[in-house]
Amino acid sequence: MEIEASAEKLSKALNNVSRIATSKVTLPVLNNVLIKVKNKQVSLITTNLDMAIIDFLPVSNSKDGVVTVPAKLLAEFVSTLPKEEKVKIISKDDKITITADKYSSTINGSPADDFPELPEIDEKKAVVFKIGAEEFKTGINQVLVASSNDYNRPALTGVHFYTSDKALYAVATDGYRLAKKKFIKNVQSEIKVTIPSNSLQEVVRSLNDEVEEIEMSFNDDLVRFRLGELEIISKIIDAEYPNPDNLIPKKPEISVEVDREELIRVTKLAGLFARHATNDIIACEVKAPDIFSVYSIANEYGENSSSLITETKKEGKIFLTSRYLLDALNVFTNPKILINFNNGSENLNIIERILVLKEPGSDDYIHTIIPIPTDDIQ
Amino acid sequence: MYNVWENVLAEIEQKISSSNFSTWFHDTSLISTDDGHIIIGVKNSFFIKQLRSKFLDIIKEALINNDIKVKDIDFKIENKSKSKVHPREITSFVSVKQKLPSLNSLKATKNQKTGLNPKYTLDNFVIGSNNDLAVAAAKSIINNPGTSYNPFFLYGGSGLGKTHLIQAIGNEILKNHPDFKVLYTPISDFYADFVDSVLKGKGKEFSTKFRSLDVLIIDDFQLIVNKEKSQEEFFNIFNNLHQSNKQIIVTSDRLPSEIKTVDERMANRLTWAGAFDLQLPKFEDKCAILRSKANLTGAEIEDEAIEYIAENVNTNIRDLESELSTILLMSDVRGLTPLELINNGSVNVSHEPKLHTATPKRIIEKVAKYYSLTPTELKSKSRVANIKNARQIAMYLLSEDLSLSTNKIAAEVGVSDHTTVLHGVKKIKNDLKLNFNLREQINEIKGKIYD
Repeated sequence: MEIEASAEKLSKALNNVSRIATSKVTLPVLNNVLIKVKNKQVSLITTNLDMAIIDFLPVSNSKDGVVTVPAKLLAEFVSTLPKEEKVKIISKDDKITITADKYSSTINGSPADDFPELPEIDEKKAVVFKIGAEEFKTGINQVLVASSNDYNRPALTGVHFYTSDKALYAVATDGYRLAKKKFIKNVQSEIKVTIPSNSLQEVVRSLNDEVEEIEMSFNDDLVRFRLGELEIISKIIDAEYPNPDNLIPKKPEISVEVDREELIRVTKLAGLFARHATNDIIACEVKAPDIFSVYSIANEYGENSSSLITETKKEGKIFLTSRYLLDALNVFTNPKILINFNNGSENLNIIERILVLKEPGSDDYIHTIIPIPTDDIQ
Repeated sequence: MYNVWENVLAEIEQKISSSNFSTWFHDTSLISTDDGHIIIGVKNSFFIKQLRSKFLDIIKEALINNDIKVKDIDFKIENKSKSKVHPREITSFVSVKQKLPSLNSLKATKNQKTGLNPKYTLDNFVIGSNNDLAVAAAKSIINNPGTSYNPFFLYGGSGLGKTHLIQAIGNEILKNHPDFKVLYTPISDFYADFVDSVLKGKGKEFSTKFRSLDVLIIDDFQLIVNKEKSQEEFFNIFNNLHQSNKQIIVTSDRLPSEIKTVDERMANRLTWAGAFDLQLPKFEDKCAILRSKANLTGAEIEDEAIEYIAENVNTNIRDLESELSTILLMSDVRGLTPLELINNGSVNVSHEPKLHTATPKRIIEKVAKYYSLTPTELKSKSRVANIKNARQIAMYLLSEDLSLSTNKIAAEVGVSDHTTVLHGVKKIKNDLKLNFNLREQINEIKGKIYD
């Protein structure tokens, strides 16, 4: 195997793939990157057995072959070379020799045969969607915030993608809050899969300015994301996901519009006091004709109350965890935010009002937060 | 189905490297073998691909060798719930245990007549600065039973070798005087036998049996019960044997004067000839103990690994041994040496003594202090939120850590009835589910209670 590429491009590709090459695994070869050259196409591959990253590297010169060496070591070595340098990698046995003008080094690898075979997307059966990179990044960050890290409930550690009424949705919940994003409005195919949050985080992290569009291909047990020269394949979480449509309360009872930045500020203020004693609980209250206030429950540190001006005819109050509200507000993009108090229902197992956040005039992103039952607050 | 798959896995394990085996086969199961259509359950599609492309022939061969008809092999993703114990773990555990019998063989059969376990000898008792005095006394007793240290009272925390030392004394005495009547019994068995004999109307035989002994060895004396009749019987036997210069050996986890149920007269007599304590071994002693146990099993272990365990276990010898056997087991299963396991972070040994035990008073003090209150304020009837909250946390800890009854808790924290306690404990339990800060606070308080 032989390749010749610019240090800059090689370094970028290695950085892309080496993140998931982990050291604490039972199979040492998973620390490695597999460098494969076939028919002049060079690919760099790493995997942690939940997902794999494949970077197709543009090279000026190459000879077919395959080799695997420790990913982080190679990545660090190449990143230290001057960017404009031409780097040549030649494999011999299970070693590679890297030469670049006055630099030269040899890295010991493992037999390429030890590197696991990766599953491939069955293109014939695959359901394919394309989403603009910017929209994908914003949308996925908006739902990821609500996903759980409780591995006793595997389904909730992922983001659920599903189609409904000819639209593609992504939804995540940890049981106390739920975020739902509508992506594409006119889809023909149908899917219903849950993708691990970790894999999606990796996809979002790998996005750069050069990528304009993301192609997602779904099989029953595998998903592939294509972002420019990069491919990420990931397992799918094999666990029943709760039907998200049952989890979102339907009718808003009270609805007010406020400035998002201001609301972030007052939530932080109330949170400062809430954080110390009263279980991080704050209250959001709507008072006719024009007050939306956020306050902490009084404790030994004192109390805080702030008001925003809005318009309302109805009145109501919700207690919730300040961190959840902040998490939600931070992933919205619109300067205005619509705050709804929706009635809970038997169906949801919650009878109190539920906080539902949206952007004014749009149902594309919905974030709901389940309140703290009022009888728990003195 | 599990059993067959265990055998199949055992065979596959012989044929491939242990890292490959533990990576690819660890979470597999056999779902179906109907008509030769084999379905194997795996974690995700990455595993299907690898098993199919690299290990299919090996799996097939192993299946056939276990008399399973194979037409085709398919894989299915199977999500395992965590609570389920995987059959694989059981097999590897069993096979390794068979290879390393000696660590556990100390628990071997005891002699029915003397109650002594012959495996406990002075030769395999590791002597160090923590126990040399007690051992010197023991040796003197072995040479001249019933004369110098009588009664021989030995005390120290659990797992420091009390039982080993006193049984060794019994065994050595029997070696020198095969005709001696030696009896080893935990105090709890002594009582059970006594009560039993009284009920059966054989009280006299019981008394005669004990009075005819040459050496009486009583273990775990701190468990003595506060029953007048039984204590009196023990006292009488004790006096009788002592007067006839028969050797009496007693162990306890603390001094007799600190055992509430023992009266002063008894306590005095037990320590007539002095009290010897076993202490936590020093670093060098711990290394010596580990080395000696490792040699017993014939397993290989590096000095650095031994030093690592010795440094990180600061509770007792039992914990030392159990960490050692865990590491040896893992080393056998994974095919790595103990030091490699330690260096790659697979084992994490840490046993630190609980410096304090929790008492209701201590819990209330620490909770109050954490929330900048005095214990009196915490126990007041105040319904101010932070005081009430602190009181509820105290109730929660009293219930969780000390398992006190709700009535006792009510009395400790100064609330009038147990329903308030029930409510408080439940509230904190519920809050813990969704409140991260509270969880941290309670952990910090616990740290303060036990530190």
